[in-house]
Amino acid sequence: MTVRNQLWAIALLLTVAVSAAAQDLSAFEKRTTVRKLDNGLTIIILERPEAPVFSYATVVNAGAAQEVAGITGLAHMFEHMAFKGNDVIGTKDWKGEQAALRKVEETYAAYDRARRQETARDETRVKQLEKEWRDAISAADKFVVTEEFTKTVESAGGVGLNAGTAMDYTIYFYSMPSNRFELWAYLESERYRAPFLREFYKERDVVMEERRMRVESSPVGRLLQQFMSMAFIAHPYGVNGIGHMSDLQTISATDAVDFFKKQYVPANMVIAIVGDVKAAEAMPVIEKYFGRIPKAPGPEPLRTIEPKQNSERTVILREASQPFYLEGYHRPAGTHPDDSIYAAMEMLMSNGRTSRLYKSLVRDKKIAVQASGFNGFPGEKYANLFTYFIVPTPGNTASSLAEPLRAEIERLKTEDVSAEELQSVKMRAKASLLRQLDSNAGLARQLAGYQTLHGDWRKLFREIGEIEKVTPADIRRVANETFVASNRTVGMIERLAPAATAPKGASK
Amino acid sequence: MRTLTRIAISAAITLAATPGIAQVKHPKEIKFPALRQLTQPAPKRVQLDNGMVILLMEDHELPLIRGGARIRGGAREVPAGKAGLAGMLGQSWRTGGTQSRTGDQLDEFLESRAAIVETGANDDSMNVSINVLSQDFDAVFPIFLELMRDPAFRQDKIDLAKTQANASISRRNDEAGSILGRESTKLGYGADSPYARQPEYATIASITRDDLLAFHKRFVHPNNTVLGLVGDFDSSTMESKLRAAFNSWQRGPQAPPAPAVGTGAKPGVYFVAKEDVNQSNVAMVHAGTTRNNPDYPALQVLNEILNSDRLFPRIRTQQGLAYSVGGGVGSDWDRPGLFRAQVGTKSGTTLQAISSLRAELDNLHNQPFTAEELKRSKESIVNAHVFTIDSKSKVLTQAMNLEFYGYPKDWYSKYPSLVEQVTAAEVARVAKKYVTPDNIALLVVGKDKDFDKPLTTLGAVTPIDITIPEPGAAPAGTSKPAPPAATSADGMVLVKKMQDFVGGKPRLDAVKSVRYVMAQSSKTPQGAMEMEMDQTVVFPDRIRAMMKMPMGEVTMVITPEGSFANLPGMGVRDLPASQRDGIKGQVRQDLVTVLKFPERYTFVVAGTEKVGSINATVLEFTAEGETSRFLVDPASGKVLRKVTRSRNPMMQGDVITEYSEWKTFGGLQLPTAATAMNNGEQVGTTTVKSVEINPVLDMKQWERPAA
Repeated sequence: MTVRNQLWAIALLLTVAVSAAAQDLSAFEKRTTVRKLDNGLTIIILERPEAPVFSYATVVNAGAAQEVAGITGLAHMFEHMAFKGNDVIGTKDWKGEQAALRKVEETYAAYDRARRQETARDETRVKQLEKEWRDAISAADKFVVTEEFTKTVESAGGVGLNAGTAMDYTIYFYSMPSNRFELWAYLESERYRAPFLREFYKERDVVMEERRMRVESSPVGRLLQQFMSMAFIAHPYGVNGIGHMSDLQTISATDAVDFFKKQYVPANMVIAIVGDVKAAEAMPVIEKYFGRIPKAPGPEPLRTIEPKQNSERTVILREASQPFYLEGYHRPAGTHPDDSIYAAMEMLMSNGRTSRLYKSLVRDKKIAVQASGFNGFPGEKYANLFTYFIVPTPGNTASSLAEPLRAEIERLKTEDVSAEELQSVKMRAKASLLRQLDSNAGLARQLAGYQTLHGDWRKLFREIGEIEKVTPADIRRVANETFVASNRTVGMIERLAPAATAPKGASK
Repeated sequence: MRTLTRIAISAAITLAATPGIAQVKHPKEIKFPALRQLTQPAPKRVQLDNGMVILLMEDHELPLIRGGARIRGGAREVPAGKAGLAGMLGQSWRTGGTQSRTGDQLDEFLESRAAIVETGANDDSMNVSINVLSQDFDAVFPIFLELMRDPAFRQDKIDLAKTQANASISRRNDEAGSILGRESTKLGYGADSPYARQPEYATIASITRDDLLAFHKRFVHPNNTVLGLVGDFDSSTMESKLRAAFNSWQRGPQAPPAPAVGTGAKPGVYFVAKEDVNQSNVAMVHAGTTRNNPDYPALQVLNEILNSDRLFPRIRTQQGLAYSVGGGVGSDWDRPGLFRAQVGTKSGTTLQAISSLRAELDNLHNQPFTAEELKRSKESIVNAHVFTIDSKSKVLTQAMNLEFYGYPKDWYSKYPSLVEQVTAAEVARVAKKYVTPDNIALLVVGKDKDFDKPLTTLGAVTPIDITIPEPGAAPAGTSKPAPPAATSADGMVLVKKMQDFVGGKPRLDAVKSVRYVMAQSSKTPQGAMEMEMDQTVVFPDRIRAMMKMPMGEVTMVITPEGSFANLPGMGVRDLPASQRDGIKGQVRQDLVTVLKFPERYTFVVAGTEKVGSINATVLEFTAEGETSRFLVDPASGKVLRKVTRSRNPMMQGDVITEYSEWKTFGGLQLPTAATAMNNGEQVGTTTVKSVEINPVLDMKQWERPAA
């Protein structure tokens, strides 16, 4: 008992000390400038002049959740297209290329229509139209200077050039030496000024390979796809962001232009820049380049809301791979006032070796290699899932994990969290924020992300204060609201022993 | 029609927008100032009298202190039969706690302060890391220190680590990408390479707490350690604290140099069948180089061109064959890396993608490197160099790397100017020298019935069986003979010759047991130690050894029923597993055992080596995952030397035993004198006084005396 009390006392002392550190966070805020351009684009600059470099993140507030049936995968597809250049980068002659691309779209529309004909399809005509389309692509390809955009960034010393498409947003990022700030402003603004959709159909093939890698050829990828579609029956969170294969095989550059015009408008975008950049000098450059992006109304908010779940749902994949267990419960969006309570529960259950799931399932019962519960799957802009995932140790089926997991969930609902356990969680939440503050790239992503979701980047720091206020009663209340059977979706891979006749390392 | 209208509108916007901006027409017009020079201070370097090196880097931006100790010794030092030991050590080192606190107590103490102290191990090193709020350093550092020097490796956490290791084994074939990574490394370095070893249920089961303690004891010494810290501290104060903590720590044996990587698999086509995929994972591998190679800068330019100018734009962007494609000549700090080129493509374009990838490797020899490729790739490397030193913690990590691997201090800072000097001719030269398509082992993981063409169109296909040996299955070599396919024909011929030299197969077959009486002299830290040894082996699995030592007579008996030792003044006790396995291993590597049971070993002829004036044939023989070498006179079949890995924790690296004074006992010709060398020093001699073949045995001597 004395040891526990001592620990608690130490933890209390530390809290005081860390708030001192939190004073430095407000100093962090002083170095930050936020500006909304006339066209509606939000710019955040955080000055960190230690080294002559900067990082940025552009967050477009549009992700896979903005897709509708028939164009799933398009947000991600467009992300790939944002590396293709503009009217001077990536082309030998934009005018000529533009005419050729028009021909590609024309022939594709004809071909696509013919091949999707549901009755009395004319195969000969389909073949002919396909040939015309492919010929048009070959003609357009002659204008292309492949990967010139990427090479321009990299020759200038750019590193970490990449992008990602989430359910909620699309993010573009890299880092540059700070003497190339103007080049960066040009290159980045050009991406959103207008779409230049060269090599679209080749890129579609690349994205299909990405889908095969992430979803079709991966046991956990296959499970997640089924699990999401089971958990969400109405909301777009139920469709894997990479899109259905048949949609990927069908979408056109024209669909992508459509998506761009609706979603890639300045009012729907935030850019955060962190590093050796002086806001006073950088803002005019930013105005000059990003100010050219035409002003347009923001997209219409999503209509569909996931209806309240009223039944327990289970999906089981029987596969030759090892078992895997998922259990998800609907929770409100990341902007909900209870979000900090969910965040505290996540840490309590999953953070570190003192977390409840580690202690119980991994360390003591030795039935899991990994066991945790986390928020925000598959996004957080809309109502989402608190998801537990468990990797069983050899000899344990996935389904055998349900009961020990629920025993821990039941504790959240019925027992008050001890003061020291809660204190330790709050302490780690603060330290974890602190540890994120020393990377330009990480900060840029955080600032742009928080600004996009919450409309205020300061939320990144305020969240800590909100977690600080969480009480044991809050946790019991939210756990009781959330973790009930009728709000549950279970996903499992159960191992199906390979047939005894299966060849071992068969050759041809 | 919708289509047409839309694209027309977008074109109109594009065109309308462009003339309206009297700004930049092309990015080339954008001027940029010279980059502000970034000079980072070097970390403060302190070397203690015991050899430990400390590097300190102040960084006051955040109230944190981070870093840790990097210690020589890693998975590559673990014998094959214990594969997985380093990983288990890395885990149970921290979770198993210290002498004064259990791991669970550490968890509570550290996490309540949001402090992190962790341990880990990889191929060439172990590490103990620390990451704390600066105000907590003094409270947490004693834990770091105790963990580093006095870990407890409590059994419950070793068991936990075993469970986790077994789980990884069971899951290692689930994802195609991890199969590709693992199996291509085995092909590149050779499956027996210390850098390609794969834990199995049996090797994990064999790892004991003693093994972990012994490994820790063997390597964790100040003279094997580089400690680096970065963060919110005053360097002089920190230096005093660290001196106070580490000054009294005694030196230990130096870690051995990097073991050789081994010889890669024969060039050819290898295939792993995976049914539940629709995408093939392809790798092409062969040997790579080390980072201190003067060709390193030219190779980085080559790699940059290969990826950014050739593989990615052509195979991905233009051909649409892959999402992931890449490659390059790999280099490691203290041993060669691997050349690798990889691609993932749908099953139906497997052969097409292989052909495209292969064509790009050939193009490195056939297609001249253009001025543009050279300029762009060099600019990419040089202009991005600032990112390698843009934080104090990166500068510290660099300094630790150079210190750890003994590289010159200016290695990183000189690198950009070396890259700038690289010419197209040099890139062409290193491409020819380090990318050799004829040496490639091609590995395909996929579902072959969906391939566009059979793999056999590329030549003979060697299937790789990745079935995971079930728990409880005997490790390879104990009960079942090693796969005969692995023994080379020339190896078999040489073994026959060696049998003939000793007396021929019929005479070896007639040997049921053998007794040696020997005098041994070994070098120990306390000086030379003399002893007499009387050892009898009853094939296949009974060993009795009696040693007369200064402190009395020691008897050790190993039988399938159990193993024990009778020690002077201590009575009969169980023989520790590590000792038992060590003696069994020695007998397994004994010439008579090898020649009597050749079917239990795989033999591979691995080149020649001079022994005196003789150009000896090197014969590698492997059993139970342990590979040793005989150096054999090819003319007579006489064994001149044996090279084995040391079993003595005080000795690292190979032990070379030189045989002489061959005499005949019961029709068998055997050496009666042996000298053992380690690191160029003589560490022991053995003189055989007598050898009895099939001696009269008193089996009572093999029974465990009642307590």
